[in-house]
Amino acid sequence: MVRAVALGLAVLAVFPTLASAHGPTRQKATETVEINAPADKVWAVIGNFQDMSWHPAVAKLEGNGGNDANATRTLTLTSGGTIEEKLIQNDPAKKLYKYEITKVDPKVLPVNNYSSTLSVKGEGDKSTVEWKGAFYRGFMNNDPPPELSDEAAVKAVKGVYRGGLDALKQKVEAGG
Amino acid sequence: MPRPVTRLMMSLTAMLGSIAVAVSGAAESAKTVSEAFVTNQTGDSLSVVSLSDMKSVAEIAIGGKPAGIAMSPDGKLAYVTSPESKEVVVVDARARKVANRFKVGEAPLGIAAHPTNGRLYVADWFTHSISVVDPGAGKVIAQIPVGESPSGLAVTPDGRLLLSADRDSDQVSIIDTATNARLGTVAVGKRPFGVTIDAGGTRAYTANVASDDMSVIDIAAGKSVGTVAVGHRPYAVALSSGRAFVTNQYAGTVSVVELDGLRVVQTIEVGDHPEGIAIDPSAANIYVACWFDNVLMRIDTAKLAITGEAAVGDGPRAFGLFLR
Repeated sequence: MVRAVALGLAVLAVFPTLASAHGPTRQKATETVEINAPADKVWAVIGNFQDMSWHPAVAKLEGNGGNDANATRTLTLTSGGTIEEKLIQNDPAKKLYKYEITKVDPKVLPVNNYSSTLSVKGEGDKSTVEWKGAFYRGFMNNDPPPELSDEAAVKAVKGVYRGGLDALKQKVEAGG
Repeated sequence: MPRPVTRLMMSLTAMLGSIAVAVSGAAESAKTVSEAFVTNQTGDSLSVVSLSDMKSVAEIAIGGKPAGIAMSPDGKLAYVTSPESKEVVVVDARARKVANRFKVGEAPLGIAAHPTNGRLYVADWFTHSISVVDPGAGKVIAQIPVGESPSGLAVTPDGRLLLSADRDSDQVSIIDTATNARLGTVAVGKRPFGVTIDAGGTRAYTANVASDDMSVIDIAAGKSVGTVAVGHRPYAVALSSGRAFVTNQYAGTVSVVELDGLRVVQTIEVGDHPEGIAIDPSAANIYVACWFDNVLMRIDTAKLAITGEAAVGDGPRAFGLFLR
């Protein structure tokens, strides 16, 4: 039994994203921003899966597959780390896209099994952008170190969302 | 390592051949249900939803990040798993109160109640085993080793067999409930999570999280007899007459699969991260817990449309059979 558990842990360590994680509890994060601009104008900035230039933490993006389902992108962050992501669904009519992280080092973003939706809803000259995500913490077993705890995961994801949304508002309201 | 299934299954087939035919869904449809018991994982509670008007009528504090749920055969008790506190919590369904709680294993998640012998089966994803529990005594009476990280559990309507979706072994274990012996294993898709058995006890269906499909198992033959692609990251399956309804977490949809011919006939948009799913015994309605949106949705099985929703607590999972 002990050996089986040890083997299980070894497998987890090698393929952390394969474990669909049911030790820790899945967490959520949602952030929004109100922008004084029509939704079309906002969607024009954020709606392309292959363009994250609106986010100040993203230094570079390399991608494949455009905006079709299963398109991929690799984000290189200004801090130097990378995040690999895959497009689940792009719905321009609803002005939303869903994507997931396929590979990330917990030191870069302390999460596992992360999926997210970025969307914009408009009313006349105003719009609301919502960025939400579902994810497990960076450490998939019991008793995580503090930097890989549930709280650390939520804080990190909210930080990414907040930084992006605040910069987006500034950019769009400044004309683009 | 699991033993090869073929030889074991031959004797199983002989044993079950006549029985499977004798069991029918008639007994099932005689029951009616009026309430849903929804485990709210991040909310640490259990919401009780009245099905007639889709209103939340109670929220019971549970603790330990509850996820799995089963009902006693008489509907008087709800059994909840709390993985973080490593407990099974027994709830008096009518009094809306916690009646008892006790430790079970290291990471209890999937749970199923035996239809007649009074026992509970609790899957432990960390110790790779199933605990056989006497809920009256509040203790574990046996451990059944299975594959890696067992998740969903289901018992055949006649109570003879227990099926375990061994998530990280990409297989289902078939266990004899009389002896607690594992009779064999069946290879399915990647990372099977929920497992559901039909009313006749002849076939089982798994939702395979990592291969975006559903596997069909012929229980007596002990083998997989079909696979159908569904939506992204399927979680669990509910069955109605001739159809399977599969929740797809990342897609935010329920796939409706015609079992004859195994094809998806419709995809219903529901809330974000649909997970636990159950059908009422009359087969008129399906209920789906949407984890991100904190709602329980009702789908009319004839119209294949959402006809109601109830606000529940935070992070509803309702993994198991949650109607009474």
